[in-house]
Amino acid sequence: MDYRSAFAISAAGMGVEKLRLDVTALNIANMNSPKGPDGELFKPLRVVSKLAAADFSSQFSALSAPLSAMVPSGHVEAMNVAPRFVQDPGNPAADEQGRVQLPGVNHLNEMVNMMSALRAYEANVVALNAAKTMAQRALDIGGGA
Amino acid sequence: MSIEAIGAIAPISLEPSTAAVAPNGSFAAWFDNQMSTVNQQLAVADAGMQKLALGDASNLHQVMIQMEEAKLSVQLVLQVRNRLLEAYQDVMRMQM
Repeated sequence: MDYRSAFAISAAGMGVEKLRLDVTALNIANMNSPKGPDGELFKPLRVVSKLAAADFSSQFSALSAPLSAMVPSGHVEAMNVAPRFVQDPGNPAADEQGRVQLPGVNHLNEMVNMMSALRAYEANVVALNAAKTMAQRALDIGGGA
Repeated sequence: MSIEAIGAIAPISLEPSTAAVAPNGSFAAWFDNQMSTVNQQLAVADAGMQKLALGDASNLHQVMIQMEEAKLSVQLVLQVRNRLLEAYQDVMRMQM
């Protein structure tokens, strides 16, 4: 019984969800940071998770491969959203009209992302615990009872 | 694109498979091998714990999973040892 492959599947899911939470935290942390010295405004990021085998033919042939060949992986990409402007003439980063450019982080979306990442992580933990319980029950076979 | 997956559904047969050959090597060698595997997993879990304590573990769940793997491996070896001892005691109790 290969319980380790079940663990690896859940671990991949947990890794993706952790990345999602990290990226959300980064977006929220940079919500109010104006342009840096290099003139670059922080762009809100998002995680795009994809299957290891993404195109159709490789997915089709993956059907006969072990399940662990189809685990998800996430990568981070920047969202192209318009910056928001805040009236703050006292800020050193303000322009001639007294407006400051801030990253267009959508607070509501970030909170929803965070919650869903948390719940998905919990689901992965439950799946892993189920796999562990199954392995332990298998070790109980033939035990004195 | 291949459709080999369909070929994987082999007809069910009740004949004993001829592939069941006795493993070469003694039981002691197998057990020794298993023990070294378990030891390796324990070492991996230990290293993960150390890294976590030092604060440079990239993710917590990896360490926890390594610990669970090590625990399950130890339990498996323990069960094998229990069965072995049971068989040995059965033989020793045999009346001549």
